[in-house]
Amino acid sequence: MSTEIESRNLVLAAALELRDDETCFVGIGIPSLAAMLAKRTHAPRAHLIYESGGIGADPQVPPLSTGSPCIAENAAMLGDCLDVFGELQAGRIDLGLLSAAQVDRFGNLNSTVIGRYESPRLRLVGSGGAHDIASLAKQVVILMPHEPRRFVPQVDFITSPGHSLAGNERAAAGLRGGPSALITGRGRFTFARGEMVLAEVFAPFTVDDALEGLSWQVPVEDTVMRRSDFAPAAAAAYARLDRLPTGTG
Amino acid sequence: MAVTTLSQAVRDHVSEGDTVFIGGFGHCVPFAAGHEIIRQGKRNLTLTRTGADILIDQLIAGGCVSRLIVGYIGNPGIGLAHAFRRALEAGSLMLEEWTNFTLTLRLHAGRIGAPFLPARALRAGDMPRHIANLATVTCPYTGAVLTAVPALCPDVALVHAQRADEDGNVQLWGIDGDTREGALASRKIIATVEEIVPADLVRRSPELTILPAHRVSALSVVPGGAHPSYVHGYYTRDDARFAEYDRLSRRQDELDAFLAAHVHGVADREAYLGQFPLTDLNWLAHHRPGQRP
Repeated sequence: MSTEIESRNLVLAAALELRDDETCFVGIGIPSLAAMLAKRTHAPRAHLIYESGGIGADPQVPPLSTGSPCIAENAAMLGDCLDVFGELQAGRIDLGLLSAAQVDRFGNLNSTVIGRYESPRLRLVGSGGAHDIASLAKQVVILMPHEPRRFVPQVDFITSPGHSLAGNERAAAGLRGGPSALITGRGRFTFARGEMVLAEVFAPFTVDDALEGLSWQVPVEDTVMRRSDFAPAAAAAYARLDRLPTGTG
Repeated sequence: MAVTTLSQAVRDHVSEGDTVFIGGFGHCVPFAAGHEIIRQGKRNLTLTRTGADILIDQLIAGGCVSRLIVGYIGNPGIGLAHAFRRALEAGSLMLEEWTNFTLTLRLHAGRIGAPFLPARALRAGDMPRHIANLATVTCPYTGAVLTAVPALCPDVALVHAQRADEDGNVQLWGIDGDTREGALASRKIIATVEEIVPADLVRRSPELTILPAHRVSALSVVPGGAHPSYVHGYYTRDDARFAEYDRLSRRQDELDAFLAAHVHGVADREAYLGQFPLTDLNWLAHHRPGQRP
């Protein structure tokens, strides 16, 4: 189970992945919270883009749907799906933030099915725009609560491709950067060599905590950074965000 | 184009076995039109849209659907689509899954009369394997291999919007998503609107018109026709109903009771709004003005 401190760490660390003035394709849930936090702290001019067509979005409450009123209200522009996915395919989206039911060591994401595709144990929601973002954003950051059942050596179904294609096969298939990092409430993993490697832990969690329950031997950087805390202004902004009601917006 | 009742529009323009595009990307979801299809017991429909939410789940529960062509189906921000999940696990529903981008492109191709469009998506992962007859195309200029996304032209589209004039010029503002692409790709369009306004009002702001009269087959005035989704400038999203639907749709008997009370049990949208008044959802009570002149 993800504790309160883990939820906080996850959103605070994820926000740091957004840079000011960059374009970021945002999904619902933790990705939206992280993007909202970034805009309220170090990246006020980050351009948030939602698949519904919201461009330069600045939601005042966490949205339940990419088509919610809070995405439309306060946006710089309302285009449509073709506008925003067109920008994505053209290579003009710097960062995609994604979450999923399962992730594997190569950053492949599954949001389609638990079990076999033809005879599912649990049928999930499907790709939405996730496959497109994972394929075509310049860079992808995966946001996952530390729930070991979500971390598997091999996902049941690759909805959104990570680095399972060896070497430059990803580029040969016409795909862009892929996952650069995976963030949990306990630490940050990178994919510098195409595979998940623990690079940073967030206090009070240790390396062992960050790897707890993961079902394969996850490589660990020689020097794991230890973040003692996040900037006080960011923590305060998170506390304000966390108090907002989700919905009717 | 004829201004008519919604029940007449559905009777005249939705046939068993049709492929139906459902408009509304979270915003302006045509719940009233969808419920009328359930009431009339239309069967064997193929439903399509990119992000499918609980209206499509209700149409599945209502026994209207044999096939889906979608990019996503769930209860946004809340969880799974339970009637969909049960039908798929029982083998009573066929599913053709695309991504939201590639399905938008299918509709766009249909809209502009192109047989297919090349795309850089669906080039890796497990999704391409599960789309029957998915082809690639080699770019004649660069040699790059791309996915050839086939055009999709639905038989009929359901669209809810803010307003129209009596000629059937439909105006929508706020979130569009794939609504315009899907509607204009379709052979026929059934439009429902919050209100009919004078033609000169439409002609003072033609940039708000998303469907010109010559493409609209039937127009009905159905205030509140998008509840529990929302209409920008008119009423806000009834988020509590989406959460409630997550609970009640987990069990088939409770979902059947919901449909019996709120779909089959009402004659039309006016009667439905007697059960779910929009009183607390007034746009201005929650948002800045979104009303156009």
